Amino acid sequence: MSEQYTPLDDIERVLASARNAFLSDRAKPVAFRKQQIAQVGYLLKDNEERFKEALKLDLGRHAVETELFDFGPTYKDVRVAYDNVEKWTKVQPIDFNLNYIAMRPTIKAEPKGVILIVSAFNVPLFLTLGPLVSAIASGCAAVIKPSEAVPHVNLLLAELIPKYLDPELYHVIQGGVAETSKILELRWDHILYIGGVRVGRIIAQAAAKHLTPITLELGGKNPVVVDPKVDIEMTARRLLWGRFSNAGQVCTCPEYVLVPRTFQSTLISALKDAYGKFYPDGPENSDSFSRIVTREHAARRQGLLKRTNGEIVCGGDVDVEKKYVAPTIVNDVTAEDALMGEEMFGPVLLIVPVEDVDEAIAFIQARDVCYYTASLGWFMLTAHPRRETPLAVYVFSQDKKFQEKVFSSTRSGAALANETVLSPAVPGFPVGGVGASGYGYYAGKQAFEQFTHYRVSLDNPSWVDTLVFGFRFPPYNDRYKKYVRMMHAPLPPRPTKGAKTTKPGFAWTWWISFVVSMLVSTLSLMLVRKNDVLRKLKS
Amino acid sequence: MSEQYTPLDDIPRVLASARTAFLSDRAKPVAFRKQQIAQVGYLLKDNEERFKEALKLDLGRHAVETELFDFGPTYKDVRVAYDNVDKWTKVQPVDFNLNYIAMRPTIKAEPKGVILIVSAFNVPLFLTLGPLVSAIASGCAAVIKPSEAVPHVNLLLAELIPKYLDPELYHVIQGGVAETSKILELRWDHSEFSRGERVGRIIAQAAAKHLTPITLELGGCKNPVVVDPKVDIEMTARRLLWGRFSNAGQVCTCPEYVLVPRTFQSTLLSALKDAYGKFYPEGPENSDSFSRIVTREHAARLQGLLKRTNGEIVCGGDVNVEKKYVAPTIVNNVTAEDALMGEEMFGPVLLIVPVEDVDEAIAFIRARETPLAVYVFSQDKKFQEKVFSSTRSGAALANETVLSPAVPGFPVGGVGASGYGYYAGKQAFEQFTHYRVSLDNPSWVDTLVFGFRFPPYRDTYKRYVKMMHAPLPPRPTKGAKTTGPGVAWTWWISFVVSRLVSASSLMLVRSSDALRRLKP
Repeated sequence: MSEQYTPLDDIERVLASARNAFLSDRAKPVAFRKQQIAQVGYLLKDNEERFKEALKLDLGRHAVETELFDFGPTYKDVRVAYDNVEKWTKVQPIDFNLNYIAMRPTIKAEPKGVILIVSAFNVPLFLTLGPLVSAIASGCAAVIKPSEAVPHVNLLLAELIPKYLDPELYHVIQGGVAETSKILELRWDHILYIGGVRVGRIIAQAAAKHLTPITLELGGKNPVVVDPKVDIEMTARRLLWGRFSNAGQVCTCPEYVLVPRTFQSTLISALKDAYGKFYPDGPENSDSFSRIVTREHAARRQGLLKRTNGEIVCGGDVDVEKKYVAPTIVNDVTAEDALMGEEMFGPVLLIVPVEDVDEAIAFIQARDVCYYTASLGWFMLTAHPRRETPLAVYVFSQDKKFQEKVFSSTRSGAALANETVLSPAVPGFPVGGVGASGYGYYAGKQAFEQFTHYRVSLDNPSWVDTLVFGFRFPPYNDRYKKYVRMMHAPLPPRPTKGAKTTKPGFAWTWWISFVVSMLVSTLSLMLVRKNDVLRKLKS
Repeated sequence: MSEQYTPLDDIPRVLASARTAFLSDRAKPVAFRKQQIAQVGYLLKDNEERFKEALKLDLGRHAVETELFDFGPTYKDVRVAYDNVDKWTKVQPVDFNLNYIAMRPTIKAEPKGVILIVSAFNVPLFLTLGPLVSAIASGCAAVIKPSEAVPHVNLLLAELIPKYLDPELYHVIQGGVAETSKILELRWDHSEFSRGERVGRIIAQAAAKHLTPITLELGGCKNPVVVDPKVDIEMTARRLLWGRFSNAGQVCTCPEYVLVPRTFQSTLLSALKDAYGKFYPEGPENSDSFSRIVTREHAARLQGLLKRTNGEIVCGGDVNVEKKYVAPTIVNNVTAEDALMGEEMFGPVLLIVPVEDVDEAIAFIRARETPLAVYVFSQDKKFQEKVFSSTRSGAALANETVLSPAVPGFPVGGVGASGYGYYAGKQAFEQFTHYRVSLDNPSWVDTLVFGFRFPPYRDTYKRYVKMMHAPLPPRPTKGAKTTGPGVAWTWWISFVVSRLVSASSLMLVRSSDALRRLKP
C-alpha cells in the first residue's frame, strides 16, 4: 500500500486553514454542529465493511471486536453529543441573587479554537472520532494526527473525513515522528493526546511553551481484586475477555489479579477452563484473537516474558514475524517481577497471590504512595517499579461492602465491579485518568467542556450606581460600611460554636428594609417639596 | 518587620505532610469540607481590621477597595461552595439507557490530591483563599505559595491558616524565587497559578515534567473597551476610571485601552476629566482613595513606559518611584505601535485609542491576543452583541468593568493567551476533581444477551450489535428521515418477548418430557 505522509511544509497550512475556518464562525451554529456530528456517524456507518477490513489488516482483528471497541462507542458519542449539544450550549443564568439580578449575569459556552487530536493505534476509530465529535459539539475546528501504526485505517480516515465533513474545519495529518514534531512546534488552542507516558511528557512540554491546555490519556497497570465470594465462571470469562480482546492492547485492560492464596488454585482452574472455551483449537489458529500492532512491540513482549520469574500456565509463545503473542496467563507473580514494571499492552494476565483484601489494597496503595515518595526525590532512581494511580481498578465480588472497601481505599480513573474494560462504551460516562494515568476526559459532557471556555457576561444599568453601588467611587468615605454589609454574601454558621445559624435571608432583610427606607425618604422629600410649592402658591 | 521564608529543606516535608493527611481520607466527608469552608470565612471575618491594615501597608489601599476586591469575592466563594458542595459531590447516575441500566452506572466526584496554589500580590486574599475554598470543596489538600511582594498579608495568612484550618491538610509556604523553584521540582496533583506570562511558562514547563494538570490565570494581555456614542457618558467615564484606577490599576481584569470613534473622542475625554476631578478633588497624590504600586521596581518600570509614549498625557503622568506612587493617568491619541500598547501595564494608566468606527475597533481587538475581558459601553444591545460575538475573551461585560469575579456563580478564567482553567464556582471545584466512573455488571447479562462478546466469535454477533449500538441521528443530507432513539427500544422489547416465548416453550417441552417419563 502507498503510505501518504503529509508533507512537512503543508502542516502549517493545515493549521492556518483550520484557524481561518474557525474564525469565520461557521462552526458555531448548533444546527451546523449537529449536522457534522451526524455526519461522523454516517462516515462510519456507510463504510463499516471497509473499516472492518482495514482493522483486520492492521491489527488482525475480528469484526466483533471492531464492532464493540470502535463502532459502538463512536455511535454512542455521536448520539450523546447530538442529543445534548443544545442543552450543553444553552446560555446559563446564575442562581438567583438579589444583589446581581439587575446586571443579568449569564455564562455562555464558547469554543476554544483549533483542537489538535493525537490519537493511538489500538482503538483507532473511537479514539479519533470520539474526540472529534466532542470538538465539533463545542464548536471548535480540529486537526487529527492518527497513529502511523495503523496505515490502512489512516488511509480510510484521510479519504473519508474531508468527504463527509467540512474540509476546512476538520483535517487529518498523516505522518510519523518528523510530522508530529513539526505539529508540536505550532500553537494549538487545546491538545488531546492518547498514548504512552514518554510521548505524553514530550507533548506536555511542547504545549507548555505555548501555554496550551492539554488532555492526556496515558494508561497504566490496572489491578483486579478477586473476592472468593464470587461467580467464578463469570469472573474468569470477563477477565480473559478484557485482557485478550484486541490482543491486550486496550488502555483499560485488567493487567494483574490480586487473589487470596486460599482461592488461587480455584481461580487458575476457572481461568484455564475459560481459556479452553475461548480458543478450542488453540489461539494461534483462532480468528477470534488479534495480533500485536508491530514486530517491535511483539519483540518487546517476548523479552519481558523471558525475564519473568512467574509460572506461565497458559500460552507464552511468541512469533515476532507474525506479530503474534499468545494469550498468556502467568501465575505467582511478585511485586518485583519484570512483568510488574511498565504497562504490558499485550495479552498477558498476571496472577499475584496475596493474603487477603487488606494486602491487596495495600499493594495497590503502595503503588500510589510510592509514586508520591518518588515525587519527593527521596528515591527517584530506585530499582522499584514506578507505582502509579491506574486508569481502572476492578473488583470481582458479589459483596457490595467488599467492592466499596476496595474502591474507597484506592484511586483510579474508573472503578468497575464484576466487569472489565467496557466503561468507555457507557453513554454519559467520561473517560479519563487521574494522577499518573493522565488528566482531562474524552466522551460525554466533560469532553465537551474541556474544549469550551465558559465566558461570563453581564450588563449593568446606570441606576445601580445611583441606588446603592455609588459608594465604590473615590473619594471614599466611611458610609461604605453600611453598603458592604448588603453586598457581601452572609457567612455560613460558625462551625466551632455549634448551631447558631446565619441564614442566607440576612442580605434579603437588609435589602428590603433598605428599599423601604429609601421609598419612605423619597416620598417624604416629595411631600415636603409639595408643601413648599403649596406654601409658595398661597403666599 | 521580620520576613520568615520557609526553609528550603522543609518544603518537601510540607508536601509530604499534606500528602499523608490527604491519603488519610479525612478531607473527604462533606461535613468536614463544609466546616473548613466556613472556617475560611471566619478566618477573614474575625480579622478584617488586621487584613485592612496589612493591605494598607503593602499596597497603600483604602478599606473600601479591600472590602470590594478581597473580602466580598472571598465571602461569596465561601457561601457558594458551602451551599453547593452537597450537590456538587452527589453521585450522579447516567441518563437512562436500557442497555446499561442493569449495570447501574454512576459518576462520582473524587478529589485529585494535593493542590499547589501560587497566588499573585494584587488581590492577595481572594486569589489565595478563593482557590483554597475550591480545593477544600473538592476534598483536596492544598499548599499555598502567596506572593512575597505583600509581606504583611503573608504573615497574617501564615499565622491564621494553621489556626483556623486543619494544619496538616492546608499549608502556607513563604518565599521568593529560590523557594518557588524548589516547590516546582516537586510533583503536585494540580497546580494553579495567577499572573504573569513569563512565570506562567516556567510553571507550565515544570508541571509538564511531572504530567501535572494546571490552571493558568495570566491576564497577560491588555483588556480593551469599546465605547459607543449612544451611551450614558457620565456613567461610562465613572466606571472606566473606577476599573482602571482601583488598586492603582493592579487588577488582571482592568480595562487598559479604550477604542473610541474619533467623532466622539473629545466628548469622552471631557467626561473622563470631569470624573477624574470628582474622584480626586485635592489631587490623587493627597487622596487616601488611591493605592500605591506594589514595589519600587514596578513603579520604575511604569515610569519608563510613560516616558516612551507618543500619546498625549491629559491627566496625571507623574511618578514618584521612592513613594511607589504612579499618578492615575489618562493618555490620549495612543496608536497600535505605541510603547504603552506592548505588554500589560498593571498600573493606573488608561489609554485612549481613536478609531473610525466599531468595525475598526473589532479588527483592532482581533489582531491581538485574546484578553481576559472585553468591555463594551453602549445602551444598544445589538452593538454589544456585535462586539462580543466577533471577539474572544475570558469575560464579556457591558457597561461595567472589573467586577465579574464578585458575581456569585461566575467562573473566573481566561482563554488563549489569557490562560486556561477557572477560579471560583463549580468550574473551579471541577478542575480539582476527578470524575470517577463506576458500575456493577450482574452475571445474567452475559447469559441473556451479552454472551456474544466472548471468543470464539460467530456471525450471530450481527443481531446483537444492532441492539447494543446507539441508533444514529437522521442523515443530514437526505433530509428528514428520522432514526429515532426508539429503534433500540423496539428491538429490546421484541427480543425480550421472543426470549420469554422460547424459554417458556422450552420449559413446556421439558415438562412434557418429564410427564412422558412419568407415564410409563
